[in-house]
Amino acid sequence: MPKKKFYVKRKKVCKFTAEGIEYIDYKDVDLLRQYTPVSGKILPRRVSGTNPIYQRKLTRAIKRARHMALLPYVGD
Amino acid sequence: MPLYELGLLLNADLESEDREAFLGEIRQLLAAEGATITKEDVWGRRNLAYQIDHKREGYYVFWQMEGPGTLIKPLEYRLRLSDQVVRYLNLNLDRELQRSRKMEQRRRQAKARKAEAAAKLAGAGAEAAREV
Repeated sequence: MPKKKFYVKRKKVCKFTAEGIEYIDYKDVDLLRQYTPVSGKILPRRVSGTNPIYQRKLTRAIKRARHMALLPYVGD
Repeated sequence: MPLYELGLLLNADLESEDREAFLGEIRQLLAAEGATITKEDVWGRRNLAYQIDHKREGYYVFWQMEGPGTLIKPLEYRLRLSDQVVRYLNLNLDRELQRSRKMEQRRRQAKARKAEAAAKLAGAGAEAAREV
């Protein structure tokens, strides 16, 4: 019988709710980088655990940052 | 008058005097439209996330300003005409911060209500103690 694999489910937390960040600034590149993998895509909510309200704000901020060439449209 | 945030990405290859002259011109335009710059944040030269017109570097300037809504049209017109400006972004910060301000106010109210309730409770407790 094959060994059954066990996964430890980690609880996902919305960073913006937890830390009380209400306005996501597009200039805060370090913060936005956490939600864009190397590919440059926006990390989905189901992966990051961000609340819907903040996911929408985050998306807008990332797109603004892309326009200002602070974040890439396409990653490496 | 709403608070605006203007982000400018300027051509980094040009001379710094040209840049200063251009920024001075924009400042004059803002003053003429009745706006005041409340905050200046100059990042300076910075690598771009992707090449624009075969350039890898840009010069970043961010301003916060307060002024009437009528200033946006001439300002953006001027920015679009200039060959110094690579990208620009104008935001109405009042609209952006609406929610956070509202939440902050609500939190303050809740705190005040809590404090009031606690004070009432403490007062009632003291009265009860005096009666006994």
